[in-house]
Amino acid sequence: MPDIIVCYKWVIDSADIKVAPGSGELILDRVGYRISEYDRNAIEEAVRLQEKYGGTVTAVTVGGPAAKKSLKDVLARGPEKACFIWDPAFEDLEPSQTAAILASAISSRLKYDLIICGEGSGDLYAQQVGPRLAENLGIPSAAFVNRLSIEDGQVIAERKVEEGIEVLTMPLPALVTVLPEINTPRVPGLKDTLAAAKKPVIEIKGLELGQFSPRLQTLKVVGAKMSRQSQKFGAEPTEIKRLVDVLVREGVIA
Amino acid sequence: MAGIWVLAETEERMLELLSLGRDLSAKLGGKVYALTWGEEKDAQKYIECGADEVLLMSLPDGGTLTAYVPVIVEEARKLDPDVVLVGATARGKELAARLASALQTGLVSECNNFELREDGKTLEMQRVIYGGAAVQTVCCLTRPQMATVPPRCFAKALPEPGRKGEIRFLPSPPPCPVRIRESKPRTGQETNIEEARVVICVGRGLEKQEDLELVKELAGVVGGEIACTRPLAEELKWLPEETYIGLSGKKIKPDLYIGIGVSGQVQHTTGIRDAKIILAINKDENAPIFDMADLGVVGDLYQVVPELTKQLREALKR
Repeated sequence: MPDIIVCYKWVIDSADIKVAPGSGELILDRVGYRISEYDRNAIEEAVRLQEKYGGTVTAVTVGGPAAKKSLKDVLARGPEKACFIWDPAFEDLEPSQTAAILASAISSRLKYDLIICGEGSGDLYAQQVGPRLAENLGIPSAAFVNRLSIEDGQVIAERKVEEGIEVLTMPLPALVTVLPEINTPRVPGLKDTLAAAKKPVIEIKGLELGQFSPRLQTLKVVGAKMSRQSQKFGAEPTEIKRLVDVLVREGVIA
Repeated sequence: MAGIWVLAETEERMLELLSLGRDLSAKLGGKVYALTWGEEKDAQKYIECGADEVLLMSLPDGGTLTAYVPVIVEEARKLDPDVVLVGATARGKELAARLASALQTGLVSECNNFELREDGKTLEMQRVIYGGAAVQTVCCLTRPQMATVPPRCFAKALPEPGRKGEIRFLPSPPPCPVRIRESKPRTGQETNIEEARVVICVGRGLEKQEDLELVKELAGVVGGEIACTRPLAEELKWLPEETYIGLSGKKIKPDLYIGIGVSGQVQHTTGIRDAKIILAINKDENAPIFDMADLGVVGDLYQVVPELTKQLREALKR
């Protein structure tokens, strides 16, 4: 009956980001926030393992005060409780800070056998927090897992590497990061949303855990530029003829 | 000056890192150390390709790279490198993150550009964030400055026959609880979309799997490889997983990319950023792909693709 912790991040919806023409600055004033999409697979996997093996699922997040909005959403997805670690200074963390804060909170406050993270976050996609957290806690890890089970206290994790699939085994406690193809997250219904409101939330203030200085500094963020010709064509044969002429002239078809 | 470390699990990635490592060492000073798993003959090759010293590790059956974290940490404490660059393979990324935590330093993931600040020692590194919508410039505040480097970002180092260097063997790692029980090599057809001059990518606009025939015909005429967006490989499984392009899939640099029924989500388009010419065919004139296309055809792919195939066949006399 494993106690499972699933970590998730409340992120900007990248699709809402606009880029100011000219300066290339990002316009973030109308962006929405959501549970990072890769983390939805992590949450789903934790809940499926619980359905199969019993035990508990606790969802944990680190963020600024606004990340509180994520709690109802995450609890509607199945975990029985949530742990919200927050501080106004936790708004823009770099991966080593997030991992250090999680490690500090988890080792001092939470019981666990297995920790599940998404392969990376939807905003920074640094893919570091999972393995860093495992290193900080001194437990084994397997990243990029697309199939997961527990047998006799051992985690069996199939993960994707460049040459194919690698099946890893490791004893609990352990950490895995999961790929989106591991499952299809369920969509919470009205009943789940109502039930979520009654589930317990543990709040941990950043100050209680100590100081976490950044090891990276962001110097600049600009919209990715694409300067392209933007020639438009219609679907009629004469238009396709014009297109073929351009392709030949550009020398991109042999 | 304590040197630049490059760490990679395969020869291709190592050669790319060696050319980057040599370039940085010319500006930063210090030796280039190559850390890898393999034999002396591999090490010899890396010396010819720019390593001043090769630190060799050997991978026992069933052992994982992360088992070596304590060994590499021990060596890093002795040699105190300025920079550690790791090839961003799946195993490499996991290893780099654990290593950075153990060394209590910052790690910049998947950097594609490195500039040296005027102070002569700080690297300003660039990477994409927000699913490809933005570029972040980052520096590391702690030592060693660490980064992972995506495949094919830098040209492979070329050998200089007769170049001299040292080879050292690192000690075996302590027992590691993670074991490889089985390795299943990738099955199915090898595709080569990363090397192809022309890549034809299909997206959700394609209505059914049989319609891939239309695309294959076009590919046959222009000599292109067929690729797809993530949902076609992972949800619909119409094409092999190795052929999807995007943030978590392949990144391509063809002369010509043809997107057929591809809407152009940033998670996909970040993988085609380096294409020379982008041609998009989509019936929705507001599809985001048109904002980044050189050539855009607004129309039904079932009408446009056969016509384009026919006309190209005539133009190319095939």
